[in-house]
Amino acid sequence: MRINCPLCGERDRREFYYLGAADYLDRPSEGASEAMHRYLHIRKNPTQLTKDLWQHEAGCAAWLVIERNVTTHEILSVALANETAK
Amino acid sequence: MVDLTANTPCAGLLPLSHGELSLKERNYGAVWSVAPFNGASRDVSAALKKAIGAGLPGDGRLLAGKSGEVFWTGQGQYFVRALKLPKLPAALSDQSDAWACVGLEGGGAIDVLARLCPLNLRSMDEGDVARSLIGHMQAIIIMRSDGIDLMVFRSMAATLVHELERVMRSVTAQRAL
Amino acid sequence: MGYNALRILKEGLTGNSGWKPIWRSPQPKSEYDMIIVGGGGHGLSTAYYLAKNHGITNVAVLEKGHIGSGNIGRNTTIVRANYFLPGNSEFYSHSLKLWEGLEQELNYNVMMSQRGVIMLCHSDGQRDAFARRGNAMINQGDDAELWSPEKVRAEIPYLDFDNTRFPIYGGLMHGRGGSARHDAVAWGYARGADRLGVDLIENCEVTGIDVVGGVVKGVHTSRGVIRAKKVGIVTAGRSSQVAAMAGIEVPIESHVLQAFVSEGLKPAIDHVISYGMGHFYISQSNKGGLVFGGDLDFYASYAQRGNLPMMEHVMEAGMTLMPAIGKAKVLRSWGGIMDMTPDGSFVIDRTAVDGLYMDCGWCYGGFKAVPASGWCMAHLMAEDRPHEVAKRHTFERFETGEGLMDEEGTGSQHNLH
Repeated sequence: MRINCPLCGERDRREFYYLGAADYLDRPSEGASEAMHRYLHIRKNPTQLTKDLWQHEAGCAAWLVIERNVTTHEILSVALANETAK
Repeated sequence: MVDLTANTPCAGLLPLSHGELSLKERNYGAVWSVAPFNGASRDVSAALKKAIGAGLPGDGRLLAGKSGEVFWTGQGQYFVRALKLPKLPAALSDQSDAWACVGLEGGGAIDVLARLCPLNLRSMDEGDVARSLIGHMQAIIIMRSDGIDLMVFRSMAATLVHELERVMRSVTAQRAL
Repeated sequence: MGYNALRILKEGLTGNSGWKPIWRSPQPKSEYDMIIVGGGGHGLSTAYYLAKNHGITNVAVLEKGHIGSGNIGRNTTIVRANYFLPGNSEFYSHSLKLWEGLEQELNYNVMMSQRGVIMLCHSDGQRDAFARRGNAMINQGDDAELWSPEKVRAEIPYLDFDNTRFPIYGGLMHGRGGSARHDAVAWGYARGADRLGVDLIENCEVTGIDVVGGVVKGVHTSRGVIRAKKVGIVTAGRSSQVAAMAGIEVPIESHVLQAFVSEGLKPAIDHVISYGMGHFYISQSNKGGLVFGGDLDFYASYAQRGNLPMMEHVMEAGMTLMPAIGKAKVLRSWGGIMDMTPDGSFVIDRTAVDGLYMDCGWCYGGFKAVPASGWCMAHLMAEDRPHEVAKRHTFERFETGEGLMDEEGTGSQHNLH
């Protein structure tokens, strides 16, 4: 699996750290415990297309939002998280 | 107080050579990490240009000036080699002596790194800079006219030299066949 | 049908033409008392114990492929009860006891081999932690022995004891642990359940779950609609998808875990050796192949094949622990899909839908749990209350934060397990 980092170009998978579903970008407000539980634990866990957060840990250190197919390893898009997040 | 001797990160380890390949320590002198505040890149670049003759380079590039050089080291972060910095709207830290810097020179240098680094160095030109891995170590890789400079955290100097030396020996032996 | 030496000889001389299937291949009925979705190890043992322990025999196991074709068909077959935390401790202890009597129970050779599982330690701190874990295991009624470096060296001399980064400071030996034959476990439970009247229905994919007014009514399958009062989802690896058919979302992320088998070698490795610092474990199968594995590939995946960097890491860890295995050739490798929960422990619980139960979230350790998982799931479905040894394994613990079972102590968050 190779990931096309917007800053560094196409790089080997081993340079990247995986955090989890891009749900992590939508942090609920403090005190919303049901929403916090869903945010932390409940996952759609799809078998085809997914959107998740990675960091180019051994490269430019940028956080990335990656759309990919979890069955074929195909990478559909890579975007900088700081430009995606509101 | 005892008289402390200043040692470079690779003191006692370098230089070494195998066949056409040589590995030397590079003295990078004073190094600053400069991370411009949000929206301040242009001001930082202008101030650096005025002070050392080189502004902020593009992603993955190095710019040399009259009294120093600036190279990209990651998202929104640059290393500046200069004795003094002007006042900058940026997060600064002194990185001098924090890195082991070595230069790999000679025919086959790219073959050596092909075994240790997941980059395609053949597609990189002079003045290109990349963050990547050497073995399991995070590294900064700089393509220069006289070879390839590699920077890893100072504490990993011996590992870096060990890894490179092993591969230099084996590449040299293979080229002699 | 019995298996014996005479029979094998006779079949060998007559082209093995006399063997008959050991379970029926029934047509699905239109209604059952209970349906188990998933014909893997856990589903089969659930069906077996529903019939055996609770007398509920009007049960169907629906399997989309063939019996035992999921993770029970490919895993590293380790059986152990060396857990530390309340919840896991009593559950795996119960499971190991069931393993010890499984061959008599099923009258089937599951090749249970209690060769001992040793966890190696590499620092004073880790040795202290293992001593504490050993005490917890003994308190639970299981066995544990803290081995000195000299003892480890005498028993397992081929390890690299003086490794610079991870010198071996000893180990925690769990003598009753070992391995079993994964296929045989599935086949034994399948035959046992079938003989008690359970219908094992293969090539029958569940495509929907009927829920009316918050109560389960049955399932839609590739072989028609089947009604049932209670439905158990036992489909680890695909739990999220099957749960979604009933509108349920679960705290699971699916990951790939790889494992490897070498060519057959003469007997060399007597135990199951776990090298936690290198995320590496190894044993030798009865056929002689070295069976070893490592950590997850670390990103959500259903690919059922692994990635090269993790393969490289596993090989490096193996070489670090026992340099001699560098001479062995890897014969095959595979990647299985794991239901990863935030705390790394499983769930056997009711759901928001009445009559719908789930047995899921087995993370990396489903095989050793097969007997107790079925035992407890059957109890839950039959009695509608959790079994004593699995009562902590709820969905609720993630919501409340109470009673999390994070064995690794890394935190209860998806990417940490």
